[in-house]
Amino acid sequence: MVSLKEIFSKTDDKGSVTKETGRLSEGKKTLKELKVGETAQIVGFTKQSETVQKVEAMGLRPGKKIRIMQKLGRGILVKTSNSRIVITSDVAKNIEVK
Amino acid sequence: MSKGIKVALAGNPNVGKTTLLNHAAKTNLKVGNWAGVTVEKKEGYLNYKGYEIHFIDLPGVYTLEPISEDEWIAYNFIAEEKPDVIVNVIETTNAERDLLLTTELLEFGIPMIIALNMSDEASRMGIEVDAKHTSELLDVRVVRTNGRNGDGVQELLDKIIECADQPTSPKKIMYSEQVEASLAALQDIDPNGAPDKRALLARLTDGNGENLEKQKLEKFFKKDIKSVIKDERYAFAHGFYNEVFRRKKNGARDITDRIDKVVLHPIFGFIIFLFVIFMLFKISFDFSTPFMDWTEGLINNLFAPLVLSLLSNVGAGKWLPEFFSQAIVGGVGFVITFVPLIGMIYFLLAILEMSGYMPRIAFIMDRFMHKLGLHGKGMIPLLLGFGCNVPAVMATRTLENKRDKLLVMAMIPFMSCPARLVVFSFFAVLFFVHPAVIIFGLYILGIAIGLLTAFFLRKTAYRGSLSHFVMELPPYRIPRLRTVLQIVWVQVKSFLYRAGTVIFAASVVIWILLNTPPNIKNQSDSAAAYVGKAITPVLAPIGIKDWRISTSLIPAFLAREIVLSSMGTIYSVDIQNKNTDFHFLPELENQLKQLGLATRDGFESLVTPGLQSMQIEEGNQGLRNVIRSSFTAASALSFMIFLLLYTSCLATVAVMAREGGKKFAFFFLAYSFAIAWSVAFIVYHIGMLI
Ligand SMILES: Nc1nc2c(ncn2[C@@H]2O[C@H](COP(=O)(O)OP(=O)(O)O)[C@@H](O)[C@H]2O)c(=O)[nH]1
Ligand SMILES: [Mg+2]
Repeated sequence: MVSLKEIFSKTDDKGSVTKETGRLSEGKKTLKELKVGETAQIVGFTKQSETVQKVEAMGLRPGKKIRIMQKLGRGILVKTSNSRIVITSDVAKNIEVK
Repeated sequence: MSKGIKVALAGNPNVGKTTLLNHAAKTNLKVGNWAGVTVEKKEGYLNYKGYEIHFIDLPGVYTLEPISEDEWIAYNFIAEEKPDVIVNVIETTNAERDLLLTTELLEFGIPMIIALNMSDEASRMGIEVDAKHTSELLDVRVVRTNGRNGDGVQELLDKIIECADQPTSPKKIMYSEQVEASLAALQDIDPNGAPDKRALLARLTDGNGENLEKQKLEKFFKKDIKSVIKDERYAFAHGFYNEVFRRKKNGARDITDRIDKVVLHPIFGFIIFLFVIFMLFKISFDFSTPFMDWTEGLINNLFAPLVLSLLSNVGAGKWLPEFFSQAIVGGVGFVITFVPLIGMIYFLLAILEMSGYMPRIAFIMDRFMHKLGLHGKGMIPLLLGFGCNVPAVMATRTLENKRDKLLVMAMIPFMSCPARLVVFSFFAVLFFVHPAVIIFGLYILGIAIGLLTAFFLRKTAYRGSLSHFVMELPPYRIPRLRTVLQIVWVQVKSFLYRAGTVIFAASVVIWILLNTPPNIKNQSDSAAAYVGKAITPVLAPIGIKDWRISTSLIPAFLAREIVLSSMGTIYSVDIQNKNTDFHFLPELENQLKQLGLATRDGFESLVTPGLQSMQIEEGNQGLRNVIRSSFTAASALSFMIFLLLYTSCLATVAVMAREGGKKFAFFFLAYSFAIAWSVAFIVYHIGMLI
């Protein structure tokens, strides 16, 4: 049986995945550019804010696989694991994906 | 002597905290299938096996880093009030997300129980949890619950008692070697101070002054210390999830995505939305009309004659029967006839909320509302406003930004609630050929004024507000009839309670004023008439020239439906009591038969396409006729508009003062009066020309 300590060392989601890239690097995409039905993986956030904090806590974390379920106006419905989250495009443009 | 246990229910939004509390403590607290139903601390008490358990239901939070007001409430309670036991409710199907909060809660060192809720959905999706392993790893108690049928709640209560008898602090999560080393170093500096990991962490992340450990870690991880800690918590939650949760491959597919394909479709989604709104109107009018007729008959043909004949049998004088038929039947009874309409509206709204469609409306409508400068998430309080403005104003607590909050709050009172609909449905039927069109138009007018208000405020006082938003969409859930009826009952009960208290009191006061001074010949010499006539100059320009109406409007500030009970009381004085024979048993039999017919008509109306004109045929024709004589179509319309727009509701003004400040509430009240008066004035004068 594993101990608490081992859980931490076993996980593949190491703390280092959050990266504040500052500016979007060449050839990288943001969540805003994804089309309905596309899947991607979150890489990081280009800007920190309270909203980003909340988005992370709701499950849109670096490393997570996401799928775009629908886009209506500025609203984007994103599914990750078993949750569905609507974010507006001005939040989505700060989320880098690959 | 019973021992008290203070238990906090903590968890992410919409995981079933309130549902579990309703099972455990037999409370009737509001539940709904969307995030943000509970925005204040709610409580429930239970005596169980000699213990007095005091539950505190907290607003849902994703993390203990509060932003909006409802999140602060939850945070403050856990951090400052130190409950004896924390019940951390987890949506088993979404546990990976939920475990972040769990790791944060563990650090408080308060005995904890993890309730793995929605176990029904989890087993359907093939999700398995190793509860024993969880419990051993974290030193917490674990129980599987199902809020839909109450399974596991008994066990939860037993574990709460165990926790109180043998309190054990849960294990704290282990951070990376580097962080743990720094924490140990901090502990060594001050071995007697802060033994608590939370306090040590706070000291580590503390920004000011010399903080060597912090600098060391930031240099090592190349990011700020808060991110380091947060990322490690996420990492722990993730690792822990993989350790104890398993998902079998053959779990059933979620139907939510398939429904959403249609319901959130850019075109069909909008059509479906319009259809839903139409059905909401149709069903609440057409289905409840026969029942309103029936209630009216029940009061006027059975209840009133019965009491009157009893009164005459015991030899009551003149004034008691008069008081009874004017203040009680004419006033209170009149308002009670609208219970079926109110009940039906709340029934349908509860279904909207319980199914998970509500936040989707906000998503669908954001495209349009955004153009008008409105916040997508702000739609939810507005939608709630159609049920009752008071909880709608409370719901603005979930908005992160104070300006957004005040802006939405200034729109809510223009969303027409069932109390207004009650008045509209009476007047529209009386004066217009197509009452449904008039009522629909009034709703639209309210929305339009709300939008204009928002537009105006955004150009002036609240410039620069309206931020982006983030909102969770729950899975669709089939509403349970029992829960829906519970919600309806809470609302109907509060309506009946108002009928028995304020409405009753207002009717009595009006009746007394009508009969003061005693033995007056003409009603228009009474004190009531005097009061009404005093404010008539203000209302005359909008077509309200009759003192009987202006008098009725005064107590209506307590709650709008009082305008009807007051009119009922005043006008029923003019009605000649018909002295028909009354025989209790045949009449009772007749009423039962009528109920059967009403039920048949109600269901029949559901299968008739289109909106019936909601004609109320028989019943209290006398009252209708006398009221008809003091209005014209133009003044009736102007009267309805005035009542729609003017915040004639003490409860709404009070909650606005609490949530937005006294000044805000006062200004809004004055504004709503001015706008109501102006629009009514314009409509009345245009109406006179036609
Ligand atoms: N299928 C299922 N639904 C549940 C369960 N518990 C609660 N719900 C539903 O989940 C929704 C959210 O419940 P609520 O108690 O308001 O959540 P809260 O926000 O955590 O207080 C409601 O629609 C409940 O009927 C459960 O165990 N199984
Ligand atoms: Mg709740």
